Amino acid sequence: MPDRPLNRICYVEDDEDIQRIVRMSLERVGKMTVEVVGDPTMAIDAINAFKPDLVMLDWMMPKLDGPALFRQMQQHAGIKALPVVFITAKASQRDLDELMAMGAAGTVSKPFSPKDLPDQLREIWKKLP
Amino acid sequence: MNHSSTAHSASLAVSEKSVVPGIAERTDPRVVLAARVDQLYGQMWLGILATFALGAIATFELWELRLRELVLFWWGLVLLITAASAALLYAYRRSPDKEANPEQWLRWLGIAALAAGANWGFAAAVFFPSHTDEQQVFLAFLLVGMTAAGIPVYASSWPIFALYAAGILAPFTYVLATFGNRLFTEIALLVPMFYAINVAIAYRLTRVFHSGYRLRHAYGRLTEDYSVLNQRLERQLVELEEARRQVEASGRKLQLFAERAPIAVLELDAQGAITEVNHATELLFGYAASELIGRDFRFLVKPEFHDEFYRRWKRLVDTHASEAGLIRNTRRDGIDVVCEWTVTPLVNPEGTIIAVVAQGRDVTAQREAERVKKEFTSTLSHELRTPLTSIIGSLQLINTGIVGDVPPDVAELTVVAERNGQRLLDLINDLLDIEKIESGKVTMAPEVLPVDEVVREAMVLNRAFGERFKVRFEMTSGLPGREVTADRKRLLQVMTNLLSNAVKFSPEGGAVEIGLRENGPNVRVAVQDRGPGIPESFRTRIFGRFAQADSTATRQKGGTGLGLAICKRLIEMMHGKIGFEDRAGGGTTFWFELPRN
Repeated sequence: MPDRPLNRICYVEDDEDIQRIVRMSLERVGKMTVEVVGDPTMAIDAINAFKPDLVMLDWMMPKLDGPALFRQMQQHAGIKALPVVFITAKASQRDLDELMAMGAAGTVSKPFSPKDLPDQLREIWKKLP
Repeated sequence: MNHSSTAHSASLAVSEKSVVPGIAERTDPRVVLAARVDQLYGQMWLGILATFALGAIATFELWELRLRELVLFWWGLVLLITAASAALLYAYRRSPDKEANPEQWLRWLGIAALAAGANWGFAAAVFFPSHTDEQQVFLAFLLVGMTAAGIPVYASSWPIFALYAAGILAPFTYVLATFGNRLFTEIALLVPMFYAINVAIAYRLTRVFHSGYRLRHAYGRLTEDYSVLNQRLERQLVELEEARRQVEASGRKLQLFAERAPIAVLELDAQGAITEVNHATELLFGYAASELIGRDFRFLVKPEFHDEFYRRWKRLVDTHASEAGLIRNTRRDGIDVVCEWTVTPLVNPEGTIIAVVAQGRDVTAQREAERVKKEFTSTLSHELRTPLTSIIGSLQLINTGIVGDVPPDVAELTVVAERNGQRLLDLINDLLDIEKIESGKVTMAPEVLPVDEVVREAMVLNRAFGERFKVRFEMTSGLPGREVTADRKRLLQVMTNLLSNAVKFSPEGGAVEIGLRENGPNVRVAVQDRGPGIPESFRTRIFGRFAQADSTATRQKGGTGLGLAICKRLIEMMHGKIGFEDRAGGGTTFWFELPRN
């Protein structure tokens, strides 16, 4: 478990409505600092600049989907150690297992409860080595 | 005559020994004896007739005044013996079971023969000394003739002949020996020799007859056996013919199936060369049968798959086991088709492959349909959940007051909107669930679970839902320590379904009771409500898809009608069963059972 509380989240999501809800949930309920990135191709730079504690990636995005972005992150020394949580509407257990096998720290299924989302992330955060 | 009889008997004995060794031993001695007795009785009338006729002649010849009473007495004896013998013959012929007791009939015949012989002996003893020389010659000739005539008559049983001849010759010998005449004394010495020779001849004849009867009987049995064998062979031939007809009919049926089957059927030899194809094969690949026959089956396999095909073909040849799987084939028009093949070797009893039957069907369209369906399911999942995330998320942010207070009327409406958004989400989740279960895509992750704890966890998870309807959960009986092998997540899903159903149909302020108990080798979990019960008309389809008894309740409290269908399939996948029953005092008990660990 990391020695500091979870505070800075970078969220890569193309859907503006969900961006807004997640931001509200994490900021207002979770009292966290959130950086939302709408264009996944800009995500690496944004993560490098923002220096988050944890990165949340949407799975299905145009141009670059979550798993592909995750693999790109693995190529960058500065950010490859960051914990990544996938947020996905994919329902199958196999899909979720696949993400975990890729090295994801955790998964959050859509639709999620904005009231519970900060706690879900903190649970994942607590389980990190 | 004696000589030839002996030779004949010897030749018969030889033939019996050399030609049919073992056959004669198979005969029943009693049956042979019965046949010999029958033969004796068969010619008995000759003896009776001869005794009567010669007795009459002798009476006439010996008639003298001074011996009249004695001659008449003797004639009376002749009549008595012939009458008794005739009666015996009559009794024998009329006897229905004469074969059953041949010894008894032989004894009677022996007595009759002895009596007849003794009667002639009586004539010799009484009349020989008292008559003239001519009459003595006549009498001696008569006695010798009667003795000799006894040989053929009693040839089937030499002891009877011996008795008969002894009856005649013993008194005659005595008379000759005591007559006082030297010539007669010498003749008296010859008579026993004559007797011995005759008995010896009778003995040989008896043996010949005995052998003859044994052989006749043995051959009779052989004929019987042959006849039985023949009948059996005929029956077997009929059966074989019937079997042949059935095999032929089966063959025709199979041929018809293969010809008319919508799947391609090819017969290959052990090297993989095509020897026969059906019409569906021609349609599938676009080649005429004549173009395919004689070619290697690999000709129809896409070159990239030759290695895999060769590997599987080799395994089939090595193990003689069927192979099944998908192979990409090429049609005449160059279009690739994916075919599902089942390839079965036909192996003879010596373990050699005599043919290989390959059955294939084009699954290209089916696979495409599956792909489209999967894509559709994925789209349904993603494209419906994403907007629902926004809708439900927004409403939750409003309803929980995170974004500040809203007017009461608005708050009431946003609660309605969130609840219905949730219903929509439940429906989508249930639809996806049932689709996955029915297409076999759901896999279980079985683990050993303390069933009591999982049930309590489900009660905790659903408590908030119960509170919303003012219904509480009560555990009436637990089973601490009992374990089942089940998928934890799926078991919780089943419990959630049963608990939420019970809550929806319970009266406000009521309690849903949860009880666990052992039922044989299973653990039974029961969820009981005090609801209106299950209507009779709904009971048979309660575990079907979109099954709802009362649409009013559904509209009021939510529900997709898929929950119990999902529960049933999940429980069955965990090797359990699910059911329901009326609860005494009103309400329903839903239960499921899982095998105890």
